[in-house]
Amino acid sequence: MTEQSAGKARRRRFDRLVATLHADLWRYTAWLSRDPQVAEEVVQETLLRAWKSLDSLREDAAAKPWLLTIARREHARYYERKRLETVDVDELTPAQAAMIADGHDTDTDDMRAAIFGLADEYREPLVLQVLMGYSAKEIAGLMDLKPGAVLTRLHRARLQLKARFDRDLGN
Amino acid sequence: MNERDMNCETYRDAIAAEPAGDFAGGEEHAAGCADCRALRDELRALDERIARALALPVPDIELPELPELPGAGADKVVELRRRPRFGTPAWFGLAAGLALAAFIGLQLGRSGVDERSLADQVVAHLDHEPHSLVVTDVAVPERTLSSVVNRNEVDVAPGLGLITYARSCVINGRVIPHLVIQGEHGPVTLLLMPEEHVDAAIPLEGRAVNGVILPVGDGSVAIIGERDESLEQIEERVIDSVKWKT
Repeated sequence: MTEQSAGKARRRRFDRLVATLHADLWRYTAWLSRDPQVAEEVVQETLLRAWKSLDSLREDAAAKPWLLTIARREHARYYERKRLETVDVDELTPAQAAMIADGHDTDTDDMRAAIFGLADEYREPLVLQVLMGYSAKEIAGLMDLKPGAVLTRLHRARLQLKARFDRDLGN
Repeated sequence: MNERDMNCETYRDAIAAEPAGDFAGGEEHAAGCADCRALRDELRALDERIARALALPVPDIELPELPELPGAGADKVVELRRRPRFGTPAWFGLAAGLALAAFIGLQLGRSGVDERSLADQVVAHLDHEPHSLVVTDVAVPERTLSSVVNRNEVDVAPGLGLITYARSCVINGRVIPHLVIQGEHGPVTLLLMPEEHVDAAIPLEGRAVNGVILPVGDGSVAIIGERDESLEQIEERVIDSVKWKT
């Protein structure tokens, strides 16, 4: 294979991965950051990093965890650079408010607000399990935790959400 | 977990961590315990609501400029550059999106499902990148243009006109070149879609904009300008200048 055709093949491979995974990537970073504007910037940086290190991805089947791992690091770097303060749930930007409530379904909006209010350590494994379909072992690998710790966090995340809606219902 | 160890407490811990999980002795325990079965069903219903809430609507993605890399057909590496952010949306994108969306609902009643989907994507994308629509006589850097069109295996001849914006974007799940040229009445958006076949031209007319999805070879090109823009000349230039490599 010539250098030029190798370059084109590399770009086609990257484009395929982006087209397939960009929705998961954006949702993961949006829930990680709780800010669509931050998510967009983190996604941009993630794609640049992914492009540079694409050759390190041996199998496309492993692309999703590979990309999410990069996104997780880029998200951490973003906050190191910007030194942003923690999100105050009571003082949301318009973009954050729009992320929680799109007005189509009140129950879904309420649940988004509840998930938004979870601590990072509970929200992230929940997103990875429910949205990405990851097992506790896979989440543990991505978050550098023990599987038992992941299960505990998932357990607590659900009980917090359940308690909130039980309270709202007056149970 | 060992089946012999399963009691209400261990079952509840396990089911709260993985409501969809299939762990040893779990089903047997739930079958014999109404309270645990009720909790399991409640948590599974909660998970369905969580899943719906987590599935946020995803905006169109705009790919960053990707640097050429050694061994990928380039002679040197260029500095990584973040895509600039634009805080103020331009009037054109929003107006065009709204006007087109209103019209397409009527116009595409005669078109197929795939074409409606494609037109919707075109409109949504136009709305997503209003910053591309500026009147200027500054051409996009050659390296940027080359990166955008080459990566998508499209040939664009110089006769297309002054190209003032070039980005790789995703339309209908495919990465395509998004260009802007300068027309007589302002910027004109071109979405080059080598793999989006349309049987005939699909007009996209609205109060503020004038557009068409034009069949070009086995693919198509979306051309969208201002209301008074004459598209015929631009259509001819597109047909003469845009070639698919594949």
